[in-house]
Amino acid sequence: MKGFEYYKPLSIKEAIDLMGSLDNAKYIAGGTDVMVLVRQKKLAPANLISLRNISDLSYIDTKNGLKIGGGVTHSEIVKNEFIRKHYSALSDATGKVGSKQIRNVATVGGNICNAAPSADSACPLLVLDANVVVVGKKGEREIPIDEFFMGPNKVALEAGEIVKGFHMPDFGANTGSAYIKHTRRQAMDLPMIGIAARVTIKISGSEVGCKDAFCTIDSISNVIKRLEDEKLVCEDVRIAMGVVAPRPIRAKKAEAALKGKVISEALFEEIGEIAASESQPRDSIRGEAWYRREMVKVLTKRAILKSIDRVIRPDDTIHFDRIRG
Amino acid sequence: MIQYILTGSGGNMKKEITFTLNDEKVVVEVNPEWTLLYFLREVLEMTGTKEGCGYGECGACTVIVDGQAVNSCLYPVMEAEGRTVTTIEGVASKTGELAPIQKAMVDKGAVQCGFCTAGVVMSAKALLDEKEKPTEDDVRESIEGNLCRCTGYVNIIDAIKSVAGGR
Amino acid sequence: MNNLTYIGQRATKRDAPQKVMGDAVYIQDMKVPGMLHGKILYGKYAHAKILKLDTSKAEKLPGVRAVITAADVPNNFKFGFIKDNPMLKSGKILSSRDEIAAVAAITPEIAEEAISLIEVEYEELPGIFDPLEAMKEGAPLVREEFKSNVLKLPWKLIAGDVEEAKKTSAFIAEGTYSTQWVTHCCLGTSGCIASFDAGNNLTMYSNTQIPSLAQNDYIEALKAFGLKNKGVRIIQCVIGGGFGSKLDTYAYEYIAILLAMKTRKPVKIVFSREEEFFATSPRQCTITKISQGCDKDGKLTFREINMVLDNGAYTSWGATTPSVMMMPISSLYRVPNIKYIAKCVYTNNTYSQAFRGYGNPQVTFAIESNIEELAEKAGINAVEFRRINANEPGDVTPQNFRITSCGMKECIDEVEKRLDWKNKVGKHNGRGVGVAAMIHNAGGARVYKSDGCGTIIKVDDFGKAVVMTGSSEIGQGSETVISQIIAEVLGIQIEDINIINNDTDVCPWDVGVHASRTTFVAGNSALGAAQKIREQIMEVAAKNLGEDAASLDIKNGVIFSIKDKEKNIPLGKVLRKAHYTLGGRMLVAEHFYDPPNENLDQNFRGNLSVTYAFGAHGVEVEVDKETGHVKILNYIAAHDVGRALNPMLLEAQIHGAGIQGIGYALGEKMIYNKGMLKNGNFLDYKMLTARDVPPMQAVIVETDEQAGPFGAKGVGEPGLVPTAPAIAAAIYDAVGVRIKDLPITPEKILKALKEKEKGA
Repeated sequence: MKGFEYYKPLSIKEAIDLMGSLDNAKYIAGGTDVMVLVRQKKLAPANLISLRNISDLSYIDTKNGLKIGGGVTHSEIVKNEFIRKHYSALSDATGKVGSKQIRNVATVGGNICNAAPSADSACPLLVLDANVVVVGKKGEREIPIDEFFMGPNKVALEAGEIVKGFHMPDFGANTGSAYIKHTRRQAMDLPMIGIAARVTIKISGSEVGCKDAFCTIDSISNVIKRLEDEKLVCEDVRIAMGVVAPRPIRAKKAEAALKGKVISEALFEEIGEIAASESQPRDSIRGEAWYRREMVKVLTKRAILKSIDRVIRPDDTIHFDRIRG
Repeated sequence: MIQYILTGSGGNMKKEITFTLNDEKVVVEVNPEWTLLYFLREVLEMTGTKEGCGYGECGACTVIVDGQAVNSCLYPVMEAEGRTVTTIEGVASKTGELAPIQKAMVDKGAVQCGFCTAGVVMSAKALLDEKEKPTEDDVRESIEGNLCRCTGYVNIIDAIKSVAGGR
Repeated sequence: MNNLTYIGQRATKRDAPQKVMGDAVYIQDMKVPGMLHGKILYGKYAHAKILKLDTSKAEKLPGVRAVITAADVPNNFKFGFIKDNPMLKSGKILSSRDEIAAVAAITPEIAEEAISLIEVEYEELPGIFDPLEAMKEGAPLVREEFKSNVLKLPWKLIAGDVEEAKKTSAFIAEGTYSTQWVTHCCLGTSGCIASFDAGNNLTMYSNTQIPSLAQNDYIEALKAFGLKNKGVRIIQCVIGGGFGSKLDTYAYEYIAILLAMKTRKPVKIVFSREEEFFATSPRQCTITKISQGCDKDGKLTFREINMVLDNGAYTSWGATTPSVMMMPISSLYRVPNIKYIAKCVYTNNTYSQAFRGYGNPQVTFAIESNIEELAEKAGINAVEFRRINANEPGDVTPQNFRITSCGMKECIDEVEKRLDWKNKVGKHNGRGVGVAAMIHNAGGARVYKSDGCGTIIKVDDFGKAVVMTGSSEIGQGSETVISQIIAEVLGIQIEDINIINNDTDVCPWDVGVHASRTTFVAGNSALGAAQKIREQIMEVAAKNLGEDAASLDIKNGVIFSIKDKEKNIPLGKVLRKAHYTLGGRMLVAEHFYDPPNENLDQNFRGNLSVTYAFGAHGVEVEVDKETGHVKILNYIAAHDVGRALNPMLLEAQIHGAGIQGIGYALGEKMIYNKGMLKNGNFLDYKMLTARDVPPMQAVIVETDEQAGPFGAKGVGEPGLVPTAPAIAAAIYDAVGVRIKDLPITPEKILKALKEKEKGA
């Protein structure tokens, strides 16, 4: 019967050196993916190198943007007020992964490196223009996250490399983001699809008018109509979609169609269709392709509206999610 | 007849680790591939912590490590080194008095078959130790990873809220 | 009834303290010295020929003590109520859960490795996975030894003249409904330890719900294995959930027994979660064609149902669910003309057994959903339609069920009021309300020749009582309710009562924990025994106090003269005086209560239960028209329970069943592809979490059932019978689409909405 040896390096260098010197070795962070794969016999490492005790991987630096270490747990991100306010999509995503028990140990680095098409933190990092800082035997390098995902469970890591962290720029004022995870039940679920959005807005008309729109409980159409009246424009846009392709992807054509235009119901229809056309969802036991494509349309609109709401009412804790209508 | 004498699996050497378990310092020899759950149940015969699935999806194996609820079925025992671990056996007082959360679970009818109960108590305890006045949302969040088929969760949520409310 | 000390109390569960301490011993925790660990090899396909089965490598692995295949099973032993299920399969595998070999080894890890060393060569064959296909002329036979894919079962119920009634009905509604396989998801998985003594008598450590019947099953097995006339003792560990999953015996139990025989060591088999998903038997799925009619005043005139049941490749209790489905078919509401035909069909799918409700939830979904359409056609509102047809005390239904206490109208009233139904219905704006009602047996159910339960009580020198009951504790609180009854009658404290319920060597016979019978049957049994022993106690005390037994009472363990309270004697003293004397006596009493209900005759007539439970559920939902998501805003479950012996435990049953019912209605489904289970894990099988629980009100309606202990009726199953149709009705009220196929997923709603839009 085979087991494995378990190493607990205290520095990045130690970890990389160990990886270089051992046969059949795998990195393990929170363990919520690796330990499952070992139990299912899909992984049979002879050596596990734990990244849990490396303090250089667990930083959250909020000066000049946001820098988080690959070893930061989901719970640590959820607790962080700065991230919740200014990088909300990431907060949205990490708060909905698995369960409390999972979030307490699972790391964002691990989630991204496992690279499931459904990885919740992937779409937020895509819309937040994250750069992945990777460190290995040859030193450090930075890769834009859009180039980091290669396919299902595949990322652009060379042998022995570790994700040191994710660095996101400062977006300044008037920027909001959101991530919507579409699930069947309210916890312990993978997304049927996930949509993240980030917008930087400019309002030609009345800001108070826009605020008013979101404060009333009304139909989505009426909210959008009001924003149109106030000539709200998305000056900069990012839209990312998960579980609709072999890897999390940006809806670049939809972004281009939205950028610089005044919000309107017709515009949302249009970008919803474009985003849906950029997606290639499959049928699986977790959802049907036609439904996922429909949800791209619906949730792109909602993610953008939620992002806009966060700019307009930054101090509110209840943001636009879904309104009857 | 071949006699097979167990010394450990795969010829791996045992490692000695030290950690705090239910307020007691323990020095133990472990196989590196053991999970914390396996170690608790099979080696220490502390069977209060249950295995409901073995892959982190039901919470029956929940224990508290350094104040945080974790699934012990996915927690390598080697990572317990130097940390503080609390299991269900360490919740009641040393003289057998139920802790407030345990008493509340009994009083509010939140225990039926009981298989999920230890995990629920640990998740709830982690929350109540961390927050003085958790909200209903906090309460549901704390046990969202603990599956229960018998109670429908209603009385469990009531029980945890009653401990918070009584403060 | 007033002046009751324990009855009606929210008494805490006796076993709760040990469970919150982590001290309860489940089969998972149980160890026996010298124990071996058993593991089972399952087939890789749903339908295949086994070309080669080579266990030699497994046998040679150090630490392996036995390897068995079908060739090792004496007399090709088969189990199941029609004995069509070989405990180990050979030649051909007929479903993805077929057991083809098993090993016993000194550790679970070695046993697992041995399983991986067994070499099997298959020739995959095309399978039949659709019962409607399997029923067709010329369809290949699933079981070549039988002449047809349709089982020879007598499920046909006819009352009155349906054809005639159709002609005279003012309104008729028809529809086809289907329900899915769902699984019990007990947190404690199935398992047992089989152990033989030197005389070849078997002890089974088990988590069965049916110890007395399982005993019988194991004795049959021992006979087949060549051990005639041997004893079987079943010791139940604390049970980690039942819901019917442990109502039949499984192959793994017989495998454990045979391995224990071969190795002459105790053998433990415990299911992994994966096995619990694919190798236990789910709720019976159904395809139901229904039509119902009413007159112009809304009175039901007939109910006609044709049903097809996917029986899978082997047969268990799922095939008998029609016998229980007949109950709502003939007796939910007053319906004079009934026709019901059900066919069970062999396929290469999994096979079903008992699951809380035992067919009632499946058929009530069809009946109540169809009634919604009928009421709409008749122009009568849904609540009023039910009132018009509600059952009433004194009714005798077409199956000859005699309705005694009946709180159906009260339950409907409660739901209507608490849901604010009148003000909320008919808005069609994304929010809607729906109701549904139910009937279930609540005074036992004579499905076997006996529906009885025995209780033995002995009282000791210290004034404490030990109660040996045949009724098992599966977490529902049977021990607690029995203690309350005994404490009430004997006038002692609950703490002074010890319940023994888990050893067939000690406990009297009981047919099992099923059919919501525990409170009623075990309760009455306990009540009878308690009354008998109270008489004995009073007889002895009377002598001691020089009074008539009739002028004595007992409270808090002290027997006193009603006229003069100063004349008293503690119970313990009475007992010591009784036996510490020349020619002394022990005080022991027994009572076997077999309820005065009836087996169904060959036309399925008979008063199956002594009394019946009624209830109504009401739901308010909000449907997101863009995503199809359903959010439950309010859930009211009103149940006629006769009398609540313990309101806290009762509410807990209603909550638990309600949440299972919501899962059944909205999301739970075992997904099979060509007979292979694809979502056998807690992530992809969508059991509800604590985040999914809606605001729930459990409403207790008391109608004081004379035949029940202190007026109580059963309530274990009713809580999930009307859930799905109530939700379906609310969805229709909210967005105008009717989903007739469970579970009601967002996809189905969205699709229906889009089709509605197109049609408009």
